[in-house]
Amino acid sequence: MSGPRKRAARLLRWYPGAWRARYGAEFTELLIADLAERPRSPARTADVIRGGIVARLTGAGLCGFAPDGTERAGKRARASLASLACCTAVFLGFGGAMWSQLTIGWQWSVPDTAAAVATVVMSGAMLVLAVLALLAALPVARAVAARIARGPDRGLLGPSALFLAGLVVVFAGGRHFGNGWPGTGGHPWAHPGPVPGGVAAFSWASTLSVSSFWAHPAALAAFPAAELTWMALSPLALAGLVTGAAAIVRRTELSPAVLRFETRLARAACVTMAVFLGAGGAWIADRTAPAGGPFYPGAIDVAGLAVMALALATGWQAARQAAR
Amino acid sequence: MPTDKALDGFGRYAGPATLILASLAGGAKHGYALTKDIESFAGVRVAPGTLYEALARLQAQGLIEPVESHDRRRPYRLTAVGATTLQAQLDAQRRVADVGLRRLAQGWGPA
Repeated sequence: MSGPRKRAARLLRWYPGAWRARYGAEFTELLIADLAERPRSPARTADVIRGGIVARLTGAGLCGFAPDGTERAGKRARASLASLACCTAVFLGFGGAMWSQLTIGWQWSVPDTAAAVATVVMSGAMLVLAVLALLAALPVARAVAARIARGPDRGLLGPSALFLAGLVVVFAGGRHFGNGWPGTGGHPWAHPGPVPGGVAAFSWASTLSVSSFWAHPAALAAFPAAELTWMALSPLALAGLVTGAAAIVRRTELSPAVLRFETRLARAACVTMAVFLGAGGAWIADRTAPAGGPFYPGAIDVAGLAVMALALATGWQAARQAAR
Repeated sequence: MPTDKALDGFGRYAGPATLILASLAGGAKHGYALTKDIESFAGVRVAPGTLYEALARLQAQGLIEPVESHDRRRPYRLTAVGATTLQAQLDAQRRVADVGLRRLAQGWGPA
């Protein structure tokens, strides 16, 4: 491979696979001609990198022009909804860690006003998000079942296997480590508090990897091996679950009516996440809880809030694109 | 499609989009030929990433279409909708240019 062709191939890697399959050959020829004319051009490199990032965001349904035609518009809306699902999962990963800290803390001691209000609002938001997720999953599951009923579908096999494997690992691991948690002992409603003990313990266990202990290796080394393994494994399982679910949404044909329904749910989910984020932010800003207690917000909570805000902003953009 | 609004959603790509459509009005061209042609009549060099971003959008809107080619450099041509859109866009630009030129000729001068 010649020098310019190699450089063009390197630049082309900034673009997603689908874009490369469609435009790769002709874009490479343009780059080679441009490289011959202007061998050194940082502006061209920056332009190609920016174009690649935009193409990736467009592929993920996060930006771009509303395409012509029902089929292409539906494909783009599904990509946007899949991205929103990923953003919601990231939000819930960090939000679940924050929420379970507060709910389990409530089972140990009475919270101050800020923590109590935050816990109640977050619990309500979690419940609404669970209902929305169920409502969103039902039409997709129905469409998948109808597609499978027509015959074996290789396109859905991999994502379905990934989704189910992630679900089994998260559920089994969450139950196992949640039941071992001394705060709840796995009792359905161990002590006074707005959330059943088993639910709080499951949320705590499934988000155990969201921990400031990663910044303290000496303290982390004292953890039991099984717990350390779970802390490393659970994010991978969650990632598999969400990646599988997102791929299923992208590959399953949904009618325009179902897409409109899903888009409305997407907006509702964003509003609910904003309420959750507001409650978390108010709790962190309050700072009246005694340091070291279960209701004192730590650095991990501040970092988690920042990640949740980013996930919500991206998810909101995805919901807007899905509605176009 | 309301052709006078067809380029509204292009935002920062409205400029490159108009240049590409104007170039293709003279016949089908591949990427590098488009770059050189635009450079010759507008004095602007459209960078490769920007060019293909605009091409993809124009194609998605049905304003241009690829031409069958055995060459790796695939040419594009203007569609009928693209021609009407370009006409509307250039008419709007001409109205602005005419007003600006007329006012410059009539009244402007150093105070």
